[in-house]
Parts: sequence; structure tokens; C-alpha cells
Amino acid sequence: MKVLVVDDEPLARERLAGLLQGIEGVELAGLAGNGREAIEQVVQGMPDLVLLDIRMPLMDGLEAARHLATLEAPPAVVFCTAFGDHALAAFEAEAIDYLLKPVREERLRAALDKARRWTRADAPALDGLPRQRRSHLCARVRGNLLLVPVADIHYLLAEDKYVLVHHAGGKVLIEESLKTLEEEFGDLFVRIHRNCLVAIAHLGGLVRAGDGRLLARVTASGAELEVSRRNLPALRKLVKSL
Amino acid sequence: MQGAEYRPSAARAPAPAGGLPPFCSAPTLFAVMVVAEMVALVLVLAPLPVADAEPWLERLGVVSLYVQWLALLNAVVLCSLRASLQPLATTTGLAIAWAVSVAVTALASLLVCRIDQALGLGLSATPEQTARFVLSNALIAALLAVVLLRYLYVLEQWRGRVEAASKAQVEALQARIRPHFLFNSMNTIASLIRHRPQEAERSVLDLADLFRAALGNDGQPATLASEMELIAHYLRIEQLRLGERLTVELDAADAPGEFALPRLLLQPLVENAIYHGIEPRAAGGTLALRVRRHAEGIEIRVTNPLPEGTPTPRNRMALANVRARIGYHFGVHGTLEVAQGAGLYTATVRLAGKMLR
Repeated sequence: MKVLVVDDEPLARERLAGLLQGIEGVELAGLAGNGREAIEQVVQGMPDLVLLDIRMPLMDGLEAARHLATLEAPPAVVFCTAFGDHALAAFEAEAIDYLLKPVREERLRAALDKARRWTRADAPALDGLPRQRRSHLCARVRGNLLLVPVADIHYLLAEDKYVLVHHAGGKVLIEESLKTLEEEFGDLFVRIHRNCLVAIAHLGGLVRAGDGRLLARVTASGAELEVSRRNLPALRKLVKSL
Repeated sequence: MQGAEYRPSAARAPAPAGGLPPFCSAPTLFAVMVVAEMVALVLVLAPLPVADAEPWLERLGVVSLYVQWLALLNAVVLCSLRASLQPLATTTGLAIAWAVSVAVTALASLLVCRIDQALGLGLSATPEQTARFVLSNALIAALLAVVLLRYLYVLEQWRGRVEAASKAQVEALQARIRPHFLFNSMNTIASLIRHRPQEAERSVLDLADLFRAALGNDGQPATLASEMELIAHYLRIEQLRLGERLTVELDAADAPGEFALPRLLLQPLVENAIYHGIEPRAAGGTLALRVRRHAEGIEIRVTNPLPEGTPTPRNRMALANVRARIGYHFGVHGTLEVAQGAGLYTATVRLAGKMLR
């Protein structure tokens, strides 16, 4: 069984890795220091189990687990935490297991046994996780997971049942609706059109096109996007307050 | 025998709050005088059975003088008796205080009659008049003493309760180290123990010092120097845990080490800086701690980088806690200010003068 250890503290990783070494039939698949690294390593190494710390920089463990669950063959996830996070209480019923740090070897063995018996069929219902705001959007590109930090997103354009994410590193399609994205990130984005949300941080102002229509300018890329008449008053007010 | 090293530790327990009202205190004296003056006014305004030609202002002057004299006499007597009444049960003490004030009033009234007779002013010529004067004064005193003692007693109880409540509040505010820190440290120690036993041992000692201080029984008055030492212990543990992600810049060359302050007043600010500033950053950052002399006290500044990416809601509990403790111990001479800008978050504490309590 291949196990990936994810924790932002080097000593905590070392200890778990050391414990795993002493358990037969277990192979250390790698070490990661945050949720983003964890996802990259999962995609590359396809471990069977991820031991996931909760509180980490860049992307925390709960969000990483949610992104991992969108994989076609997600690994089993066991959370590790130093102190009974209340976030875990809600998850307890649906998790394969969770471990309290410092982790006892017996508890680790028990969690590994559970993970061995666990099959994809009873994938954890991650819907049970508290719906906290994500720090990244996650796109599936040719079987890989591509993570886009929310802070890097310039604007979101709805296309059929997909949303095209224009971000600092290019553009990518995600399978989400503009409406749910607006609900999740309402304070970071502003709707300028039925099919478009613009990041307030990258909003450069309004310009008038040759034909008299008003366009919203995105500072980072220089893109100019159509503003619908319905959204214009609110947008004007927002631009003024910037 | 090796000198007098041993001292019995059971010092006399301080008198419990509440109990008898403080008869000698200025607010009590003021209350007594106000009540006395009100009595004088009532006496002057009350319609008399016989027409009295005496102008009321003059009468008020005489009556006030007499009543105030009686009231202050009572207050002085009760004040000097308070120490001997204190050990008794509160109700007994109050009953005795009441009886004493009635007796004092009666005796004083009798004395006034005797003086009157000696001077031959004729205010209380006959023995019946004297008896009546003394008796009515004693009765008035008996009634007023009940009301006044009751008022002072309730006031004292209320004050005791408020004090206890605010003390409990401050105790509840006592420096609390995040449970996360304890368990993370235990985890660090567990990983060190096999391969780096010396560091594990040092961490156990550091942790013990921190928790002894947090649990409030190291028995030492805290000074800036001892606080800085605790912070150093704390940072040493965090340094092990966070590795190269944590850089500490300490500038405390000019710090007056003997400055007195409550234990673990500053540590929560450092802990906050790590928890909210350094830990959420993948690359970590620099925590700058600057302590220097400032006017008649000290200025402590803790600076940390702001977390990157979308801001997470900041838990303001720790800050509110530190602020409340500063207010309790230093009053207006202590401040906590926070500022953020240019990617940095700064908490500045200024403390001046002596700890109030």
C-alpha cells in the first residue's frame, strides 16, 4: 500500500514517515508540505492512502480532500490533526478515519487496516464537509488536476454547462456553474453580465466602445468585457468606490 | 540550626470581602452627612404643634449643626469600633453597630441637655423635657440607623460582588496558550525523541516553563526579563516545529528588564503573529520583536508578514484578551494598537508606570 504523508511541519512528516517504515506492507509514496503539493503528488504517484494534515498554508487539508474527491480514482484520505478541530466533528461519521497528533502507532495501524478494506465504492461523502470557501479552483485536464489559485483568476465566463476560467496562467474549463461560483466568491467577484463574473481585484474600470456600448476592462490582461444594462448601475457604483 | 530559612507559609488569610460597611471611608462619611442634612431639613420643614416665631433659616442652622455633630460622632465611634466588630458574624456586627449608634445618640443628647442646663438657656428646663428630648432623639437615631446600615450593607455586598465578578473575568482572561500549540509541541517532541534526544529534552523543559507560567503557579512576580525569557522558550519550540519557515529578529538591547508586568501578557501577541502570520505562509517569514524603553515604561512591537492569498477571518479573541488585561493592570497607561500595511501586520503595546494591581 502506497501512502503519501502531508504535513507542513518537517518534524511531523518525519515522525509519520518513520512510523510507516516500521509497518509491513506499507510503502512511503512521498511527502508533501501543503494541500497543493499533495494534489500534485497524488496525481503523479497515485498513492492508495493520503495522511492529510488539516491546518496547512496555501491549501488546507479539508480543501485538498475535496479536490481529491473529484479524481476518477481518488485515494483514501485519513486526516491528521493536533487538536479536535470542530470541522472534523461534522466529518467524523463519514471519514475513513482520522488521527490525533502525536499519532500512536496502534492507531496508525488501525487506520491503515481500515484504509485497506476501504473500496472506491464507499468513497467518503465529502459533501459532509463544511462548505468553507476554497482557495483554489480545480480543473481536470487530461486526467490531471490543474489548480488555479482564486487570487490569480481574472474573470469567469459561462459557456454552456462549463465555466471558462481566465487566470494569470491562461484559461481552463471547469465543470461548475457561474451561479454557485458567485455564491461562493461573491465578495471577490462582481457580475457584469449574465455570463460573466470579474475579479474585483483585477477590475480596471469602464470604457466606452466605438459603438457606444460600455465595456469592463481587466487590468492584468487588458481584456474588455461586455457589461449588460442590468448590471451597469451596481458596477458603476463599485468602480467609483474603488 | 541554619538561620531562619523556614517561615510558616500560612500567612493570615485576608479578611473576606463584604461584611461590615467601611464606616471610616470618605464615601460612607459623605452618605452619613447627606442623610443627616436631610433629617435636619425634615425636622425644620415639619409643621410644629406650636407656632414658632423663630426664622426657619436660623432654625435650620442650629438643627443642622446639632444633627451633623451627632452623625459625625456616630461615624467616628463606629469607625473606631469597626476593627473589633469585624471578626463577628456580619449580622451580629451590624446589630451591635446599630445599638451603639442609638446609645451614642442618647448619651450625646443627654450631654447637650446638661450643657443647656448648665448654661441656663432653658431649652430643656424640666427633667420631663430632658427625658423626652433624649428619648425622641434615640428613637430617631434607631430608625435612621436601621435604614442607613441596611443601605451601607447592601452597597458593600454589591461592591464585593462586582469586585469578585471582575476578578473572575480577569482570571478567565489569564493568558491562555492555544491547545493546538500544546499538541503540536508534543508531536514535535515525539519526533525528536529518538534521533535528537537533547533537543527533545530541551523542548520538554521549555514547554514546562511555559505551562507553569500559563497555569499561574511559578510563584514569581513577572518582569519584562522573565517574560522575554518565556517568549524565547516559546519561540525555540516553534522554531523546531516550523524549521526554516520561521525567522526571528529580536531587538531588546535597550529593554528595562526589571519592568513589572503580568505574566504572559506579551506572549499571546507573539503566538498570534506565528499562528496568523507565519504558519499560513508556505514560505514562512520573519517575526520581528522589538522591545525598548519608552517614556516611563516600555514599548513592545511585534511584526509579522500578512498571510498570502485570500484572507481568512482572523480570530480577534487573543487581541481582545490582551487588551482587556492591559486595561485591568495598567488602566489608561497601557495601550495595544494594531496596524497593517505594506504586507506587514504590527501589534504595538505601550505600558507606562506601575501596575495598578
